Amino acid sequence: MINVLYIDDEEHNLTSFRAAFRRTFQVFVTTEPSEAVRILEENPIEVVISDQKMPTLSGVEFFELIMPEHPNPVRMLLTGHADIDAVIDAINKGQIYKYISKPWNEAELKRLVEEASELYQFRTAQDTQASDYSKRLYSAQEKLESLISEIKSSTDITNDNKESYIETINGAISLLQVPT
Amino acid sequence: MTNRKAISRLSFLLFVVSIFSFQASSFAQKYLGSRLEILSTTELNADVQSPIDLLHETWVRSDLDVPNLGNSSNWVWARLDLDPVIDAGLSVEIAYATIDSLQVFMVCDGIVKSKSSAGATIPRSLREQQLGNYPSFPIPVEDCMKLTCYIRAWSGKQILLPVRVEGSRKLLTDGHYRDVFFAIYFGVVISLLIYNLFLYFSVKDNNYLQYVLFIIAVGGTQLVLNGYDRVFELISSPWLALRITHIFGILSGVFSILFVRNFLHLKSKAPLYHKIFGWLYIPYVFASILLVLGYFNASYDMINVSALSIVLLVPVSIKVWRSGDESAAYFLVGWLVFITAVTVFVLKDFGLIPYNEATLYALPIGSAIELVVLSLALGSRINQLKKDRQKAKEKELNTSLLNEKIQREQNVELEKNVTERTSELTEMNDSLAETLEDLKSAQQQLIQSEKLASLGQLTAGIAHELNNPINFVTSSTQSLKRDFSDLKEVIQSVAGLQPMSDKLSDELEVVIQRMKELDIAFTLKEIDELLAGVEDGAERTAEIVSGLRIFSRMDGNQSSDANINELLTSTLIILRSNLKDEADVLTEFSENLPNINCQPGKLNQVFMNIITNAAQATMETQLIRSEREVKVRTRLVNDAGKQFIQVDITDNGVGMSEQKKSQIFNPFFTTKGVGQGTGLGLSIVKGILDDHDATIEITSEIGQGTTFLLSFPL
Repeated sequence: MINVLYIDDEEHNLTSFRAAFRRTFQVFVTTEPSEAVRILEENPIEVVISDQKMPTLSGVEFFELIMPEHPNPVRMLLTGHADIDAVIDAINKGQIYKYISKPWNEAELKRLVEEASELYQFRTAQDTQASDYSKRLYSAQEKLESLISEIKSSTDITNDNKESYIETINGAISLLQVPT
Repeated sequence: MTNRKAISRLSFLLFVVSIFSFQASSFAQKYLGSRLEILSTTELNADVQSPIDLLHETWVRSDLDVPNLGNSSNWVWARLDLDPVIDAGLSVEIAYATIDSLQVFMVCDGIVKSKSSAGATIPRSLREQQLGNYPSFPIPVEDCMKLTCYIRAWSGKQILLPVRVEGSRKLLTDGHYRDVFFAIYFGVVISLLIYNLFLYFSVKDNNYLQYVLFIIAVGGTQLVLNGYDRVFELISSPWLALRITHIFGILSGVFSILFVRNFLHLKSKAPLYHKIFGWLYIPYVFASILLVLGYFNASYDMINVSALSIVLLVPVSIKVWRSGDESAAYFLVGWLVFITAVTVFVLKDFGLIPYNEATLYALPIGSAIELVVLSLALGSRINQLKKDRQKAKEKELNTSLLNEKIQREQNVELEKNVTERTSELTEMNDSLAETLEDLKSAQQQLIQSEKLASLGQLTAGIAHELNNPINFVTSSTQSLKRDFSDLKEVIQSVAGLQPMSDKLSDELEVVIQRMKELDIAFTLKEIDELLAGVEDGAERTAEIVSGLRIFSRMDGNQSSDANINELLTSTLIILRSNLKDEADVLTEFSENLPNINCQPGKLNQVFMNIITNAAQATMETQLIRSEREVKVRTRLVNDAGKQFIQVDITDNGVGMSEQKKSQIFNPFFTTKGVGQGTGLGLSIVKGILDDHDATIEITSEIGQGTTFLLSFPL
């Protein structure tokens, strides 16, 4: 089940959203931004949907608030009336993936959430893969370094050969190092 | 015209008749000029006092009845042989009054028997007793062979010697006649004098005074010429006595010039004659100087020569007469008579016409007639004046009529001008009205655009406000369907249970298991929640629609009774979504607010405008959302017996400076960026409030907030 967080100041919207999607997604709803942040910290939320027009802060402001800590969840903005300037701004800053206008179409919203979830999965997978690769690179590096120390301590190999081997291995290590 | 001709002809006829009637009368005089011998050589005898010394001089017999000895400063001698028998007891009369010094010697056979004196210079005590106004000398009764009367005379004037020898009775009788004649004459003169003097005092016309002076001069001249000054011993001073004839002559001339110049208005009617008559004073001045210096005869000549100038009066009178002054005709006649009289008088002196009583009296008669006619001329002047005045009045009347006419014409012109100007003004007014219409329509367009801006804001707000209920109502119905289908499934399963079946408990177990799977408990709770949402959504939609209906009247100008609280509520509903992220709106409405008659749509516009501005003012502060607020309060206020509904809208926004406060109601004043507002909002608000007789007060402090206090009179 996809974990979806929906924040809106309108309680009825939350109720109907949960009623609509509780069978398909794991739905988290709240009217409070602070509660939303707590939910994000405690649950692997994949998709965050926020209403734009809220009394305490706007949807775009909310996204700006959570992005540093939770960059991965895919963000979608729900706007009552086409506050097009805010939307354009948000898209350009990379803060949102999609925007949805009220009243929402349930099927479309479902599709969008699923797409967003796929994007999240892809992003997460990429992250996993990347960390896997870097782990393997790191272990290879370690192995090569231990190999250098073995070569140094070995008596079977001549000093000339030792230097030649170490130079070759160091070249390999430098190749493995990720350019910063 | 005929009148004057008749008068002139009549007077001339009278004059001629009088001359010849005198000639024919019983007291016709007999002058002895033909018996007189004149001493022609006059140079030797200046100091000769006695006729004895002159016995052997050459005496020349006179040709005339009355010898004219001329105007000489020398002593003159004449002698008359008398008959000692016939003439004894009679008197020698020298009928000439102006001989200044006269001595008569009666010489009997070469011996001077008597010597008598007369004349102006001789004191009365030494003078012979006069019989009448002329000197006369008694002829002594002597027994002598030859009785001769020697006359020695000197005068500062011309000397004539009209000599008669008559008895005393005859002389007295003639004297009486003369006295009567002159009495009449002076009577005429004095009455004319008094009459004109009286006229002068009543009319205050200087002409009369000048005429009076002229009369005095003329009368005086006749008085002295005929010796009445001495008859009545009027002049005691010998100095004056020698000069009195000259003086009256000079005065006659001067006063006649004065009178003529003024009477005929020469200055305006005949300027040239005015000048000439002015110059005529000069010879009289010389005559006066000569007289004072003692040149009596020269002075006398000068006076006579100057007097010739009276002929000038004929052309000048005619000229003035022709110029329309009818009194000049009388004047002309008067002077013509006088000139004729003078002519006759002078001709007589030179023996050209008989020297008799008629010719002798020509001068007084002529002067009397002249004075009378001139008096008539003055009378005519009064008539003339009357006529002139009448004419002037008529002229004045004509002028005023003309003026009236001109004024009427001017009035017509003026009216025309006024009409033209009025039509111009009307045109201008029309064009101004057109301009005003244009301006009004421009204003209407601006107001319209402001209204459209408000409507845009409004529709956006409403769209959003409607979006939420529509969103959760539509979404909830879908969820409800699903929830109900779950319930239906469970109910159908329960309905399919066979109560008597052995497997009831098992089947029931399946149903319960299914109910757990479907989380029916949660579903039931959810249904309640969803239904509550739908209900709320429907309510809110209805509320918004109702608010919209109120706002749909924004265009209408109809008045109706409305409750301010309701209007504010609807405005806040419409604004709710707009204000949601701007500020909290707190309301404090007085519960028993009466309805007021107003234009509700317009008031909504007012409230929306002020509340929106208030919320925006809070946005400009550093306050966070939960601290930003707009308070809207209504209350009923009693002030001095008047009731008001007060609406105050207070924000805790940035506040305004005094300058800004004074400008906010000005059209086009805006603090917003270009394209974000027309600047008309509050100016329209002011207009709407003015229409409602409502007042708006603003209190504001920078950094603290602003209060708009609206008072609606009930």
